[in-house]
Amino acid sequence: MPVPKIDAAIGERELNKATVRVLQVLSSFASDVEGYGVTELAQALGMTKNMTYRALTTLVEQGYVTRERDGSRYQLGYRVLELQSPLKVEPDFRSLAAPYVRRVHALTGESTGLVVRAGDYCVLIDGIETRKHGVWRVRVGALFPLHGPATGRVLLAFDDDAAIDDYLARHEPLRHPRTGEPVDSQQLRAQIGQIREQGYARVARATPPQMVSVAFPVWDIDGRLHGAMSVGGPAERFEAQLEAQLPDIREIVAELNRRSRLFPADDERAELN
Amino acid sequence: MARTAVNSSAIHVFEVLRLVARTDEPMGVSEISRRLGLPASTVYRALITLEESDYLVRFQNMPRYELGPMPQLLNRALVHRFRLHAASRPHLRRLAERTGDTASLTVRLGWYGLRLAGVYGSHDIYHRDRLGEVLPLHRGAARLGMLAFLTDEDRDAYRRFAERQRLGVDWAAVEALVEAARERGVAFDPLAAALPVRDPAGHVLASISISAVERDAASEAIWRAARDELEAEIAQAPASFASPFAHIPADDIVLNLARDAG
Repeated sequence: MPVPKIDAAIGERELNKATVRVLQVLSSFASDVEGYGVTELAQALGMTKNMTYRALTTLVEQGYVTRERDGSRYQLGYRVLELQSPLKVEPDFRSLAAPYVRRVHALTGESTGLVVRAGDYCVLIDGIETRKHGVWRVRVGALFPLHGPATGRVLLAFDDDAAIDDYLARHEPLRHPRTGEPVDSQQLRAQIGQIREQGYARVARATPPQMVSVAFPVWDIDGRLHGAMSVGGPAERFEAQLEAQLPDIREIVAELNRRSRLFPADDERAELN
Repeated sequence: MARTAVNSSAIHVFEVLRLVARTDEPMGVSEISRRLGLPASTVYRALITLEESDYLVRFQNMPRYELGPMPQLLNRALVHRFRLHAASRPHLRRLAERTGDTASLTVRLGWYGLRLAGVYGSHDIYHRDRLGEVLPLHRGAARLGMLAFLTDEDRDAYRRFAERQRLGVDWAAVEALVEAARERGVAFDPLAAALPVRDPAGHVLASISISAVERDAASEAIWRAARDELEAEIAQAPASFASPFAHIPADDIVLNLARDAG
């Protein structure tokens, strides 16, 4: 009897979709946000309020999510503590950020990178190179002075004022690592002010090959930086596109930050000098 | 579609997830299906769904699964719900910097202790304490540092809870450790020592512990000072430091923990 069989298959697929939604709703609680209302969650996940409500009801029954006593908001329940293995090691910054590096690359098609600080330098620890012609190279392990790339400038900008002064004094006169051209420290300070104000760095290279890149800070639980994430490419191709995609890129980075703020930065790495 | 049908699929998925979490070794379809008494096709679908959502990962490309990154992220997000998590970090960091020892804060969650925060010391040998680790109150210095300083009534209630849950406690040994801890004001085990952290009403909220390679009077003074500073901070706004689960009766909080954790 073919008809019931097809019905059963469709029913099963629908069931599975509903289960995927339940897991998606639970995953959205993996952030530093204290709780969510149904409408808020539905909007963020692109689900109907009805679907979201049903998923939340299942999660409340399972004890993974609790409903606040006034009934309007949902929060993570203690039963998630059962889902841990004593053998599992802490996630490091690279594995925490990897899905977001992928998403920014998938959105833009351009090279994306993840850097951490090592003393007066920044090191590229992960990234995806574009498959287009005209490649902004991603070399894992590459070391740059902090005043060089956009990522380095982000790491420098969110250090405290005294540490920035010390850095500039140590490296006077500043030179661009690639071209050897002098870097004006007043201009760099002005850019640091701008990075702090807008929350990210945007670097456009004036000399050929002309490149544009943006870099974003990735914060830890104590208000320190894990590192920075960037995306960049040749100006002729990427400049207009970046303009259009910046809000979406920022949203992806914001989501990474909601997760990365659950963890402290790796102390050993931050104190390496 | 009927709501019960939606739930049954999700429930199987969580059953599979919990079983994998409780088991030390990565598990395959047939073993899971046998242990849960579910059809292999149901288990297979659940595994694929859990893998796609980052709840499980394949172990070394084999058709065997272990916990993925998402449960860990949820675990950390839960820890983050306790205000003491962030508030204790500066105190722990100062303590770790001044003593060189790894410092931790463990908070009460019903009759369990949950490790909320930890800062590693500078010694090149240290015990990798896992944040989010949860154990019943008689297990280890960090938990005994709370159990020992509860009221006699509460300790009796814990004993009844542990017996109901069949935790298999050697009560004579636990009583001896509790006595020793009450006498000295500090709970010990071979790896660590713990001081209770109380709110202004005298209720035990947490314990502050250090995994000390060597312990001396000087480091103990530093460590008591850190506890006193944290208590002073709590005293300024006690309500805000209460556990987000403080309204749930301790007896109602029952956790099904991994074998070697329980």
